[in-house]
Order: sequence, then C-alpha cells, then structure tokens
Amino acid sequence: MIGKPEWFKRRKYTGWGITPKTWQGWVYVAVFVTLIIGFHTIPTLDNTTRTIGTGLWLLVLGIDSIDIMIHLKKDERNYLHEAISERNAAWYMVIVLALGIAYQGISSGLQQRLYVDPILLIALFGGLAIKAGSNIYLDRKD
Amino acid sequence: MKNKITERRKELKITQQELADTVDVARQTIISLEQGRYNPSLKLANAITKALKVKHIEDLFELENGGD
Repeated sequence: MIGKPEWFKRRKYTGWGITPKTWQGWVYVAVFVTLIIGFHTIPTLDNTTRTIGTGLWLLVLGIDSIDIMIHLKKDERNYLHEAISERNAAWYMVIVLALGIAYQGISSGLQQRLYVDPILLIALFGGLAIKAGSNIYLDRKD
Repeated sequence: MKNKITERRKELKITQQELADTVDVARQTIISLEQGRYNPSLKLANAITKALKVKHIEDLFELENGGD
C-alpha cells in the first residue's frame, strides 16, 4: 500500500491504532490531511461529489492503516504486552456493557416495558462470538 | 531468571541496539532482559546465546531458586 510499517508505531497510551514514529510518518499524515482539505476547497465541486470523494479517501486511509498495523514489526515482548493490555481493556468494556445491559433491563422492566439498546447486545454478543472464534482458530492452529 | 547478558555483551563490545538487531527484537526488550524484568522464550534465549557466542544457554541464563 502507501504507508510503510517502519514509519509508525502502535499506540500504547492514547487509544488504539498507530501513530507516526519517523519524519516519513508525519509527512504521510500531513499529505493525507492536506489533500483532503485541498479537495474540499475546490469551488466547482458539489456536495455529493465532496461526500463521495471524502468517503473514498477515508476508505483508502482506513485500509492503508489496517495494512500498516498488520505488518507492524513486533517482538515477543511487544506481543505479550499488547495481549495483556488489550485483554484488560476488553474485560473493562465487557463489565461496563454487562452492567449497562442489566441496568437498562431492570429499570425498563420495572416500568413494565422491557427494553435494552440493541447496540449494547450486539457489542457484547459480537465480542463473545469473536472470542469463541479466536479460540477455535488458535486451538486448531496449535 | 538471572542472566549475564550485560557482562557478556560488554566483553564483546556490542551495544544494546546491535544485539537487538542481531536477534531481531526491540532495544527495549534487551533493556528489560538485562534488568531482569522480562524472561525470554526458549527461542529468544537461544538466539541471544548464539549472538553472544556463548556455548550453552545455561551459561548465560540461570533459573532462580524456586523458579518454574
């Protein structure tokens, strides 16, 4: 793709994703931002074209970012630290989701109108499915 | 696990970065190993042993009493 993994490093303390590590990484970010801003300053474009163009540009950026993240160089200690920190974050999110679902279910149930936000259910059970699928894959891989 | 990586590395006049590059890990991993804050896998321990020209892994790495 466009960006090279050696220009970036994994975000550890400020969320998920990647952040520039070398001057080439910062140039990559600056070029992407400048081009999208420049695109929006073209006066002859209508809103539909701007929206489609922006969407396509963000799609390219998203795919390139994922490609970079997949190919980021990590040694065994990096893998271990990433696994532990992501596990801790996942556990926190699961607990909050479960508490949120329980709260919504109980409070709406007490009003005789059981309701739980489907996004919360999708997040919790989707995560469960991903965990199960990952374990199945890892067991077979071993 | 105790190790003698620092001593052997200095004997060979190799920097932490050079050792890291040789065994294909980050310099921070070598630092953590030398400070005893990280135990390497057998594969990495073997690679470091070869890079530091030590004959046996147990000459470079030593399990502490009661270790697994």
